[in-house]
Amino acid sequence: MNKINLKIVTPEKVIYQNDQIDQVSIPTSTGEITVLPNHIPLVSILQSGEMVFKENGQDNYFALSGGFLEIKNNSEVVILADNVERAHEINVERAEAAKAKAEEQMKEIKNREDVDFARLQAVIDREANRLRVGNKYRHLRKSE
Amino acid sequence: MAVNSKVIKRRIKSVSSTKKITKAMEMVAASKMRRAVDTALRTRTYAKLAWDILVDLSKTPEVKLPLLEVRPVKNVLVILVTSNRGLCGSFNSNIIKKTSLSLKNPDNLGVQDIEGKILKTDNVKIDVVGVGRKGADFAKRNGYNLTASFTTFSDTPNLNDILPISQMVLKQYEERVYDKVVVAYTDFKSAIAQTAKLKQVLPISKIDLENMLTELGEEDLKKEKPVVDEKLSDYLFEPNPQSVLETVLPRLVETQLLQAALESSASEHSARMMAMRNASDAAVDMIAELNLNFNKARQAAITQEIAEIAGGAAALE
Repeated sequence: MNKINLKIVTPEKVIYQNDQIDQVSIPTSTGEITVLPNHIPLVSILQSGEMVFKENGQDNYFALSGGFLEIKNNSEVVILADNVERAHEINVERAEAAKAKAEEQMKEIKNREDVDFARLQAVIDREANRLRVGNKYRHLRKSE
Repeated sequence: MAVNSKVIKRRIKSVSSTKKITKAMEMVAASKMRRAVDTALRTRTYAKLAWDILVDLSKTPEVKLPLLEVRPVKNVLVILVTSNRGLCGSFNSNIIKKTSLSLKNPDNLGVQDIEGKILKTDNVKIDVVGVGRKGADFAKRNGYNLTASFTTFSDTPNLNDILPISQMVLKQYEERVYDKVVVAYTDFKSAIAQTAKLKQVLPISKIDLENMLTELGEEDLKKEKPVVDEKLSDYLFEPNPQSVLETVLPRLVETQLLQAALESSASEHSARMMAMRNASDAAVDMIAELNLNFNKARQAAITQEIAEIAGGAAALE
C-alpha cells in the first residue's frame, strides 16, 4: 500500500507512469528533495538535474530540466517537466554537439536581445545536464 | 469521329494521373493526421495536470502577478493559426472568415469581464500575429497590422516551435503593449468535423481554462475527480506561492498555444485528407463518364463505318 504513484509528463507526452515506486529524489530550486510515501502535499519548481526513483529495490535514473512538480495528498507525485530523458537513453554525442552549437551561438549574439540569450542559456544548461547524467550512467546503456 | 475519341482518350489519361496525385496526397495527409492527433491527445495530460496545480494554487491567498492582471482593453493581439500550404479544402478560409469577422468589429474583442463587471471600451486597436503562411498573407493583403509571422512550423509543432511566440506574447503582455491576447485556431473534433474558434489566452481567466479542459476530454476529467478536500494549510509551496505561480503561469500559456497549434495541425491534415478524398472520388466519377463517352464514340465510329461499307456495296450492285 505504501507506494508512490509517480507520473512524469512533458508538454509533448507522458514519459513515465507507475504506482509502485518506493522513493523519488528530485532536484528542485531549493535543493534536492527525496520523497517517500505519505509525503505532505507540496508544490515546487524543478531545476535541471538528475532524478532517481526506486522501484523494487532498483534505481532508475532520469535527466530532467525545467518545470514544476506537485505532491498530492495520496502519495501521488506529478512531475511536469520541460524535458525528461532516461539516463541510459541519452545520446551523449548528440548532447555534446548541441551544447557546442548553443555555446557558439551564444558567443555570436552576446550583444543582442535578452530573450535569445536566456533561451540559449537554458539550452546550454539542459545539454550540460544531459551530458553529465548521460556520462554518469553510460555503463547502464552498454549493459543492455 | 476518330478525332473525338482521341480527345476523350487524352482527357481520361490526364484525369487518371490527377487522381493518382490526389490519392497519394490523401494517404500522406491521413498518416500525418494520425500523428498530429496523437500528439494533440498527449498534450492534454500535461494541460490537465498543470491546471490541477493552478486550482491548488488558487486556494492560497491572492497573489499579484502581471499575467493575472485584468485591465481595460485598448490593444488586442490576435494570433491567427493557419496552414502553410493550400489544397486543404475550406480549412484556411473558414478560420480566416471567422477571424476577419471579429477583426471588422474590434470593439467586440474589447469586452472585458473584470470581477463580474462587464467593461466595454471603444477604439480598440488590433494587431495580428500570423502563424502559418496563409494567415499572414491574409493579414498583409487586407491591411491589418501584422506584427510578426511564423511560417516555419513542422507538421506536428512542438514546444520549441511555440516558445518564440509565447515568449513574445508574455513579454508584451507584461509590458502592457497588449491588454488582451486571443488565439484563432481550428479545433479538431473528428476527422470530418473541425470548427474555427477564438480563444482568450491572456489575461488568464478561469472560465476559459475550464472551457478548454472540458473540451479537451470530458471523460478524463470526470474519471479523476474524487474531490479530496485538502486544507489549505496542508499545502507547502517551495520556495513560495509567488515564484511557483511565476513558473506555472507562463507554462500554461505555452501549453494553450501549443494545444492550439496541434489542434490546428490535426485539423489541417484531416481537412486536406477529406479534400483529397473528394477529389479522388470526383476523378473516379469523371473517368467512368469519360469511358462511357469514349465507348459511345468508338461504337458510333464503327457503326458509321459499317453503314458506309454497306452503302458502298449496295451502290456497286
